[in-house]
Amino acid sequence: MRWRRPGLACLAALLCAAAGAAAQAQDQGRFEVRNAYVERANGQWLLDVRLDLALAEAARQAFDEGVPLMLELEAEASVERRFLPSATVAEIERRWQLAYDAISQRYVVTDLADGEQETYGTQADALAALAHLPAIRIADEATLPPDARFGMRVRATVEIGELPAAIKMLLFWKSWSRSTDWYAWNVRP
Amino acid sequence: MRRWLPIAVVAGIVVWVAALALLAVTAEGSQRYSQLQPWILLVNIAGVVVLLALIGGRLADFIRDWRRHVPGSRLRGRTILMFGGLAAAPLLLVFAFSVLFLTRGIDSWFHAEVRQGLTDALSLSRAALDLRMREYLDRSGAIAGGLAGLSGASLYAALDVELRRAGAEELVVTTAGGQPEGFSRAGMLHGLPGVPPDELLLQLRQGRPYVSLEPVEGGGYRITVATQIPGEPGLAAPRLLIATYPVPQRLADLATQVQAAYQEYGRLQFLREPLKLSFVLTLSLVLLTAVLAALYGALFFSQRLVQPVQDLIAGTRAVAKGDLDTQIQRPSHDEIGFLVTSFNDMTRRLARAREETERSRAAVEAERAALAVILARLTSGVISLEPDLRVRVANAAAGHILGVDFAQAAGMPLAELAARNRLLAQVHAVMQRHLESGETEWREQVTLRTDGGRRELVCASTALPGEGGAAGGLVLVFDEVTQLLQAQRQAAWGEVARRLAHEIRNPLTPIQLSAERMRRKLLRGLPPGEAELLERGTHTIVQQVEAMKQMVAAFSEYAKVPELHLSELDLAALIRQVSDLYHAQDPRVAFGLSLDPKAATLEADPGRIRQLLNNLLTNALEALDGRENPVIMIETKRAGDQIVLTVVDNGPGFQGGLMEQAFDPYVTTKPKGTGLGLAIVRRIVEEHGGRVEVDNAPQGGARIRITLPAAPREARRAEARREKA
Repeated sequence: MRWRRPGLACLAALLCAAAGAAAQAQDQGRFEVRNAYVERANGQWLLDVRLDLALAEAARQAFDEGVPLMLELEAEASVERRFLPSATVAEIERRWQLAYDAISQRYVVTDLADGEQETYGTQADALAALAHLPAIRIADEATLPPDARFGMRVRATVEIGELPAAIKMLLFWKSWSRSTDWYAWNVRP
Repeated sequence: MRRWLPIAVVAGIVVWVAALALLAVTAEGSQRYSQLQPWILLVNIAGVVVLLALIGGRLADFIRDWRRHVPGSRLRGRTILMFGGLAAAPLLLVFAFSVLFLTRGIDSWFHAEVRQGLTDALSLSRAALDLRMREYLDRSGAIAGGLAGLSGASLYAALDVELRRAGAEELVVTTAGGQPEGFSRAGMLHGLPGVPPDELLLQLRQGRPYVSLEPVEGGGYRITVATQIPGEPGLAAPRLLIATYPVPQRLADLATQVQAAYQEYGRLQFLREPLKLSFVLTLSLVLLTAVLAALYGALFFSQRLVQPVQDLIAGTRAVAKGDLDTQIQRPSHDEIGFLVTSFNDMTRRLARAREETERSRAAVEAERAALAVILARLTSGVISLEPDLRVRVANAAAGHILGVDFAQAAGMPLAELAARNRLLAQVHAVMQRHLESGETEWREQVTLRTDGGRRELVCASTALPGEGGAAGGLVLVFDEVTQLLQAQRQAAWGEVARRLAHEIRNPLTPIQLSAERMRRKLLRGLPPGEAELLERGTHTIVQQVEAMKQMVAAFSEYAKVPELHLSELDLAALIRQVSDLYHAQDPRVAFGLSLDPKAATLEADPGRIRQLLNNLLTNALEALDGRENPVIMIETKRAGDQIVLTVVDNGPGFQGGLMEQAFDPYVTTKPKGTGLGLAIVRRIVEEHGGRVEVDNAPQGGARIRITLPAAPREARRAEARREKA
């Protein structure tokens, strides 16, 4: 077959690519930090994060096949400095695993920091539990500035977990993980 | 630096191979090496890049050599193709089969039977656990029936009893909303019971018992059963019994293993395509590396293989250009090394042969130069001829004697040269005569006839030896012996003259005196008739004796060899003086003088030159006797450092063969001549280092040409210097 009008052909190809990209975006599902805040309690700064967590099609397929999902939360507290870049005064990384137990037919959410786990009868309940991450300890109260003026930002990443690094690197073009944008705010006293 | 290069190369290869092996391991999904994965990939990619760079460099060199038609580049190209093809073909074959086996092997993991087996195992585990769950449900229902109406201490006591009896981990009684009212636990569990999950409360509100199997942290399972406590009509909502039972260890372990296997199978099922792709990519990387390594090896070893050939070609070209000092470094001890050694031996032998040839040539050149010097110094003429009688070489004396310029005659046929030269033609005729009679070795005195008279040559011919018995040509050697013969003849005639003078002069005076005495004593006493007879007889005797005395005097003059007294002589004045004298003697004869001012002076013996002029003019006058309008022309002119004196008369000239013997003594056509005039002329000329020639003038009459050096002493000194040099 021979294209008589290469311009039209290129335009059609671009439209197809754009349509494909839009469809792929729909497949990705909504994943973002809905809100987050910090509070002092018992001499510690605690973080509460709520996510809009909808699994992408690929992640859902992998999860259905038995591959656990990993949720990683990154949080940073930084202090602004005059004439200098901001200084990070506290940062944490927390990971949770969502797995399906075929014997019990229950969804298991495991906090990989301490191994504590909760089970849920439905995937929606499990995802709803993962979407709310309360009382995450950021730092001791003394670690952050006494006037409690600092910047915070959080970001969550969902990853199809426990895949060999070799496969991830060799198939680098596949989206093995999704991250939210950084959700940032300033903490005032 | 070059010493460490092989070590670095080997270390790099080891690291690279190790990285490839690790890559193969990690591609299986091993977590063990996952942290090294980026470095492993980096090492592999770096290896590929290094190989590409090396190949690029060598390929660029090869392409440049190919375009420049560097010797050996074609051979190297074929070698690269051969090596590369031999290495790449099996690699590609192995790669294709490996990919095929690999993908099929991975696919074989996911047979439907395996999946079904796992599903069945899962179902079996669930069935076993369901049985246990139903049992616990029944058991919990029975416990709940026994707890109706109990509260406070009695409730706790009953729970403790039922806990031990039922083998439960925990028994909790709560309100309908989930608030605990009492509980009992096995073991050292601390704290209050937690809030029941919403799903549990929701299900119980719907009037259905709740039974749930839940995984436990650290492995294993537990069964949670919740049921309403019946028989408590006083309450607004029935209380709840939540019981937790452990799953027997054996059953829990088996269920855990089935769950793990099922989960792993699902994970592998999900990773099926990525795993295949990663293996193919890993294999491709290994293949690419191997192919590149093979290509580099082909380039490297083709260069190593072709380099000695290129060296040999370059060496051969150098030898062809004459550089016999070319030596090639021996690359190895194999056949190529043997070839290089043979080449080096050949060039060494060639160099030695050339040196010997050079020495021989130098020796031949030296001998030839010496021979040329000898030939140039020889007064004998030497002509070397090719077998076809072409002139090979001739010395200066040959050219001088024969009057031929042999400098431009090399390679010319002798016959062609003879056609241009009268003297050479006569020599050539003699030689041809001998050659036609089959003589190559001969010796003969040849008389050459020239315009100036006869010239005598003693010629000898010898055949030269040629290569392989072939004819090598002839060498003709000749000496001019004209002057030698003349000198011998003059010496002989001088001796004759001296003896004649001595033997004749002595008796002449007594004869004359006796005749006069006879006349004086007898004349008066004789009768007149007898007296007259006596008078005539004695007069005749005296007269003849006088004539004989004059002849003897002439002989004495010829035989006498006076010493020359050279001085500056005004030749023109002398000629005028002598000619005037003879003109006064015979005014009838006209004298024509043509005297070159440049030939006015001469270094000579004035007395001898005067005698020379006297003899010439006497001869001329005698030849002109009885001629009408007798004329004698005397001419002088300068020819280089020579002065030419020519005397021409208009007499009868030289008749017949007289010209050839004109300078011999006692050769005369005159009745009273002694025949010594021209002989004495030639002696005087030769005493002054000149030469004399006679011929007949075109308009008739004898012509005598005398050539004298203007400065004979200087000429002799110059000749002496040349001989000394």
